[in-house]
Amino acid sequence: MTQESQQDTQSVLTPAVKAMIGVEGELIESWGTVDVEYLRRFTQAVMDPDPRYWDEDFAKTTHYGAIIVPPIMVSYMTGRIRPDAEDAITKAFEENPMSDGIGSVKRPGALPEIPTHLVRTLNAGNEIEIYQYPNIGDVIFFQNRYHDIRERVGRDGKAFLIITREITYTNQNKALLCITRQSSIRR
Amino acid sequence: MTTPLEELLKMTPAEIQARNERPTADQLRSKTQTYYEDVNVGDELPKYIYAPTPTHLFRWSAAIENFHRIHYDLDFGLNHDKNPSILVHGSWKQSVVPQYLKDFTLPKGWPWKAQFEHRAMLVPGDTLIVWATVTNKYEKGQMGFIEMDLGMKTQDGVESMPGNATVVLPLKGGPDIPYPFVAPKD
Repeated sequence: MTQESQQDTQSVLTPAVKAMIGVEGELIESWGTVDVEYLRRFTQAVMDPDPRYWDEDFAKTTHYGAIIVPPIMVSYMTGRIRPDAEDAITKAFEENPMSDGIGSVKRPGALPEIPTHLVRTLNAGNEIEIYQYPNIGDVIFFQNRYHDIRERVGRDGKAFLIITREITYTNQNKALLCITRQSSIRR
Repeated sequence: MTTPLEELLKMTPAEIQARNERPTADQLRSKTQTYYEDVNVGDELPKYIYAPTPTHLFRWSAAIENFHRIHYDLDFGLNHDKNPSILVHGSWKQSVVPQYLKDFTLPKGWPWKAQFEHRAMLVPGDTLIVWATVTNKYEKGQMGFIEMDLGMKTQDGVESMPGNATVVLPLKGGPDIPYPFVAPKD
């Protein structure tokens, strides 16, 4: 159980931390386009056999008039490493033979670090808002933003932060596809 | 009629898996519209049952290019991260949610939004039950809004993803839900 930060607890929501709310990253174009092969692999892996994803003739008769794509699918395009970039996996294991497989890869469009001494990070939750299905051939743009930063106090009496990062996904026509938010606890 | 969640949780994993209501391609192709008036507070949505194996996890890692070893390297998971096994991806769980809401609202409704937390560690061998229960409904802008609690429980009743969602269904005799979807102003 947590509670709002009390005055006798040393606050970690400093003016410098508060100033990060609303800070945006660059608008980034994801590598590649939304294509039928990525769509096939994704929908098979999530185990969704919907013919709206693969039967073009049927898709033309639906409310959407064409093959549609799960909006959450394009959110994973943000992690793609450009082929002209250094091999991130090799680099991760060169730096640390016991790498977790991800290492310290810096992703394009990443937000600046929150200026806090708190280092331990836990996932606190996710949100998704959906506005339009992507289509085959779409180019996906995304932009990170610090949506909110709040302070809470744990049972141990120590203050911690809940940091919510928002990512907005748009297509080549600047149409809003979906918004995701991930909240993390920083202790 | 879906099996109530409470009853499912009294069953064996094999019995739970036999009550899977994930639709086939043909069922999704021919799905008829559920209208706002058809839904009542307290209704349970169909249960989607999953029994993930290490191969399912590997396929997901490959599909989204998530190379974290906790999802496919058992030695790393057990001995480095001290996990009970390789772990089901949070990203897979959160990708099932929009699918579940899409299927409920097809062919002309809209799976607007969802939020959820990741709590328990899920591992191969678990039987997972995706569930939702309608908690509220209201009309706005000639659209029908359905609010629900949802989650993904293990066969032991452990809730791994408590959350909620709002979907939009057409009213009987009402206009189509606008596409692209535009959220109503408060």
